[in-house]
Amino acid sequence: MSFVTAFGLAVAFLVAMPYLAHRLRRRRADERPFAAAHMVPAAPPRARRRSRLEDRGLFALRAASVVALAVLGASPLVRCSRLSLRREGGASVAMAIVVDDSMSMRAAFSSASGTRFDRALRGARELLGSGREGDAIAIVLAGAPARVALAATTDLGAAKIVLDTIAQSDRATDLDGAIAMARALVSQLPQVDRRVVVLSDLADGKPDAPPLGEDQSVPVWVALPELRDGDSARDCGIVAADRSTSRVRVSLACGHDASASGREVTLRAGERADGKVIARGVAAGGNGGEVSIAIAADAPADLVAHLEGSDAIAEDDVAVVVLEAAAPAVAVIADSADEEAATGGAPIVEQALSALRLDVALRPIPAVPDRVEDFAGFVGVIADDPPGFTPEQRRALGAFLEQGGEALIALGPRAAAAPLGATLEPTLAHAVTWGDSKAPNVKGARESGAVAALSDAARSLADLGARGRATLAPEDAKAFATLLAWDDGAPLVARRAMGRGGVWIVTLPFAVGSSDLTLRPGFLALLDAWTDEARALAVPLRIDVGQPWMFASAGDLAVVGPSGPLPIARDGTIARVAPPLIGAYRVTLTGKTQTRIAAPVAIEMDLRPRAISPSTQHGALGDTHASVDVSWGVALALLALVFAELAVRLQRARRPEAAA
Amino acid sequence: MSERKGAIRAALDWGGLAPLRLRSRLVAEGVYAGGHRSARRGAGVEFGGHREYAPGDDLRWLDRRSLLRHERLLVRQFETETDRALRLVVDATASMGYRGSLAPGAKLAFAAVIAAALARIAIANGDPVGLTFIGGGPNVRGVPVSGGREAFERMVATLEAAEAGGDALVDGRMLDRALGGIARAARRGSIIVVLSDLIDLPDGAADRIAAMSSRGRVINVVQTLDPDEARLPFEGTVRLRALEGGAVVETDTDETRDKYLASMRALQDAWENTLVARGGRLIRAETSEDAVRVVRAVVEAVR
Repeated sequence: MSFVTAFGLAVAFLVAMPYLAHRLRRRRADERPFAAAHMVPAAPPRARRRSRLEDRGLFALRAASVVALAVLGASPLVRCSRLSLRREGGASVAMAIVVDDSMSMRAAFSSASGTRFDRALRGARELLGSGREGDAIAIVLAGAPARVALAATTDLGAAKIVLDTIAQSDRATDLDGAIAMARALVSQLPQVDRRVVVLSDLADGKPDAPPLGEDQSVPVWVALPELRDGDSARDCGIVAADRSTSRVRVSLACGHDASASGREVTLRAGERADGKVIARGVAAGGNGGEVSIAIAADAPADLVAHLEGSDAIAEDDVAVVVLEAAAPAVAVIADSADEEAATGGAPIVEQALSALRLDVALRPIPAVPDRVEDFAGFVGVIADDPPGFTPEQRRALGAFLEQGGEALIALGPRAAAAPLGATLEPTLAHAVTWGDSKAPNVKGARESGAVAALSDAARSLADLGARGRATLAPEDAKAFATLLAWDDGAPLVARRAMGRGGVWIVTLPFAVGSSDLTLRPGFLALLDAWTDEARALAVPLRIDVGQPWMFASAGDLAVVGPSGPLPIARDGTIARVAPPLIGAYRVTLTGKTQTRIAAPVAIEMDLRPRAISPSTQHGALGDTHASVDVSWGVALALLALVFAELAVRLQRARRPEAAA
Repeated sequence: MSERKGAIRAALDWGGLAPLRLRSRLVAEGVYAGGHRSARRGAGVEFGGHREYAPGDDLRWLDRRSLLRHERLLVRQFETETDRALRLVVDATASMGYRGSLAPGAKLAFAAVIAAALARIAIANGDPVGLTFIGGGPNVRGVPVSGGREAFERMVATLEAAEAGGDALVDGRMLDRALGGIARAARRGSIIVVLSDLIDLPDGAADRIAAMSSRGRVINVVQTLDPDEARLPFEGTVRLRALEGGAVVETDTDETRDKYLASMRALQDAWENTLVARGGRLIRAETSEDAVRVVRAVVEAVR
């Protein structure tokens, strides 16, 4: 029998003693034989009630006083389950707390009410509570991408304020990045005792990755291993819900050992869970899959897909249905029939784009669209030696560029011989001329933003063989930024911004017969750089939650999501907005509002925890128990009990006098 | 509980009343000293007074004049020269075994003294005596009507051996078994004395006992109460367990004493009214009283 057990028994005896004394004093009424008992009226209530009310109240007070007294005497033994730091020799500590705010932390915490995230935040507060003056605290959030919520500071108050602002998100998990970031934050601090405290369920979708904490440069302490619950938690969710004319395709994803098979997918009008069901389907197959649900032509526009049934995380079981978003496409206007050298098959520019295996679709079209609607779905337009643009084409192209579109125009003899009324506006204000190439060598590229990679390929364009070249009017040349230039300084590749989009000009046509530009590696680098920029400027309709939307030349931008307006980070002319939660966001840009979707990341539904190194559980890093001095509170309670007993006794003493 | 009941029934608590033989003689002699007169009523030549008519009375003795004048049914009584058998009915149910702290003995013991004294008086006057028990232990047997010294000795021995037992509330026929023989065999003019606490007798017991006064028989009931039962002297809260019927009552006697005494008075009044209507009498006695007074009251009542 331990001392604590003996102590507990002693306290129990002390609590029971007043009750036993009360029972002994009260005694049961004497029972005696009495022949005429049935003639005696029973009259226990009044006497017994009086005894019960007064005596039990006093007994409760007395028992509580004994307990309080015992606890007061044993306050050093009172221990609460809470996180606390351990210090080597009492020295101050540099600690980076990694708080996992990813979607998997929404799962219920098994041993208490609330979610894993709630427990992690509570643990962080407990750790801060055990901090002392001189301790340096940094806070890193492990939702992808990992972010620094608080750089290392000795101001514990600031750390507590930052903790209060941290909210649950639906991001994926980036534990490795967060731990690396946390290590970097504390590794250079003067404190000798440094550590990284991870408050996470370790479900980063990489259960087979190397164990966490193997790098011993800064010790890692996984402080709440009880958050790891990979055995019972299962999750499935909707990663996309796209609508076509007559069908809605709902893409599902499930974690390990989880299956959505048999679960119903309903399409409801509006975002309410009890909204009217428009259509329904049943998921088939095992891990994830797609459910195709037929809808009527007059189905409401605001459909929301619900994955019925329950699992570990409910937030990813709902998705706003959007019009089917195809892969970004590039319109190519090139005519191989004009080429003097037969290459066989598609025009050379299409073949080059295909060879690059870029994640874009190629859409060969005969001419530049003359309606703005026809640019829908295109992130960029490549026009090879266009014979000018008609007024309708100019207006549509201008609107496309203003809205973030990108154009790549190769100027050749046809562009220079544009018929009357067909100009190259809005890309060029003046006509171009076509002439012999007097300076065939390419001078080089300017270092500039997205085309930095192009400069490496510039060397492949030396000794460029060209029959001629297009020359821009001096006014137009000034408006463009030259990326590659001829030896005489005339631009070979130039770029200018138009609205939120941009225009790239190449002063050589892509026809093989006109030059060997398209046969040089530099041409592929040119297409690659242009495509990257085109994709970056085209804000995608659906994005993984946590990843940023980037808006170029976004002057008046507002984004409102499920949690309200989002902060906008600006970097030069580029604005970035990272949606933290799954759902629909209303993006208002220069007065026009669009709906964009932040979708869950499929691997985040795998709730299996990452393995951890045994060193992360070393007892020297911290403890989940701490002694808490509750003496003052108990003493106050004891004092209150004593006063309460006095009051009751005083009241009892007055009662007979009042009765008399 | 049953063991406790058994213990109570096992032996009669004689207290300060034994030995019965000496005590009964003493009581009887005390009564003689009070001026005994052998009064006998019944069929005879000397008028002995009137009493209320009871069903079964000989219509020959109905006083027609009284009926015509007062519209009351009265029976004329005459003193007789014939012997009058004394039929003693002693309640020996469990409740009679009770002895309170203020009593010298159990109620049954006190009733036995009274019964033995009455028997001695009757035998001394040449009247036969019979003894019947209501309830009682397994060895309790009545004594048939007989006279003479031996009859007294046998009666005393029977009373000394009597044990309280039986529950008249549970065994509804117990009273009928005791009274049935008397009702059938008691001759006209017999004197019937019932000694009981009247507490645990079944409903209708008063009417059934009073009904024995028919056919010219005289009925007297001696209610034998313990002082506890007569006064309820307990204080504070007590749990009272009935000796018959199994009732257990927890009560604050300070609060309920008056109600209890009122109930007891109501019971006695009910018995008295019933008996008087049949020409009988109720004599109230407590076991702490002098037995001589009680016997004298009985003798006076039957005179």
